[in-house]
Amino acid sequence: MNFGKQFKEGLITNNPVLVQLLGMCSTMAITTSFFNGLGMGVAVLIILTLSNIIIAAIRKIVPDKIRIAMFIVVIACFVTCVDLLLQAFVPALSASLGVFLPLIVVNCIILGRAEAFSYKNGIAASAVDGICQGFGYTVVLLIMCVIRELLGTGTFGGGILNGGDGIRLIPEQFGIKILTLPVGGFLCLACLIAAMQWALARPQKKEESK
Amino acid sequence: MSNETKTKEKVDMDPKYILKLTLTLLVTCVIVAGVLGFVNSITKDKIEAFNLEKTNTALSNVYQQASAPQFEETDVTDAMTAAASSYSATLKNVYKVTDGGSDAGYAVKIVAAGSQGDIEMVVGVDTDGAVTGVSIVKNSETSGIGSKVMGNLPLANGTPVLDQFIGKTTSDQPLKVGSNVDAISGATVSSKGVTKGVNGALAVVAAIG
Repeated sequence: MNFGKQFKEGLITNNPVLVQLLGMCSTMAITTSFFNGLGMGVAVLIILTLSNIIIAAIRKIVPDKIRIAMFIVVIACFVTCVDLLLQAFVPALSASLGVFLPLIVVNCIILGRAEAFSYKNGIAASAVDGICQGFGYTVVLLIMCVIRELLGTGTFGGGILNGGDGIRLIPEQFGIKILTLPVGGFLCLACLIAAMQWALARPQKKEESK
Repeated sequence: MSNETKTKEKVDMDPKYILKLTLTLLVTCVIVAGVLGFVNSITKDKIEAFNLEKTNTALSNVYQQASAPQFEETDVTDAMTAAASSYSATLKNVYKVTDGGSDAGYAVKIVAAGSQGDIEMVVGVDTDGAVTGVSIVKNSETSGIGSKVMGNLPLANGTPVLDQFIGKTTSDQPLKVGSNVDAISGATVSSKGVTKGVNGALAVVAAIG
């Protein structure tokens, strides 16, 4: 087990959103304010880590044929728990995430990591993988939130800071409204993926040119 | 035996194996159901209390001029449901409002489609059939655009967007964005959603008679 390597993979070289291109639907849908991004990111991180642990724990007794069904049941269990707990204790977040919270069940990151990692690795390594991949997802969400919120509505930290309105950095009339719409999510994510691919390809190119 | 029965899947289907698959899934589902039941039992009351509080806040919001409004849920008739759906809104509940013992009209909880999903709102209508206020209970409108309508932000002329409905009666119907209702710029669809709800609520109260 190598925490540093797994962390680097989750955050950069094998980032769930920007490199594996998983979980893009929620990434584009909820990244309109900082509070949403943080809440969704942490929710996914917790669910991913827990489901990774359980799946790693039961991987030897689960018959291969029904593993996907088992994954879904385990994931759905955690998602429903988190959904109910958020509705009860953080209703504001639950209201603003809306349907995307229950939809974590079919978020490909969680099913993808279950199949690709925790079904083949031990409990501790799977837990670390869940935390690292979840962290990578959260970071991308937050970057998206900051860009879309700042350029779209001109504020920073919406939903948390300044009584929920966010700190205004750009006058409202200069906001690029399209960025707060779903199409802005596509544009923003595309730019981030392009930047990531460019950054990842750079060291290779240098070696090739030598 | 025909050739079809000799496909690969059939070979794997040893009864013991099938039983193992079924039992594994069954046991997992029982455990999961148990866990969910437990979480549900600790969160249920809190969620219900929160939803009730939201409805109550919305109800008292639409009757701000009344000193001590009392809300009593009344039965929804088919005529009321039909009245709401004639303006493509879905009726949830109707509350009879009394203020200090005297009749003060009705509050209607109604759902209409916004730009990102359903908008659930409470519309108050007084005894003269005029809207006393509109309050949003639940919505999923875009943060920064449709949320301006939900948050009752002021229109270009300074009137808060939801307050423009106050005083409207059935004689103003159909209320329509662009003619007798102003929309927040960029949030036309959300404004239209609320307008549908208000139209529906007025029709529902008219159906009560």
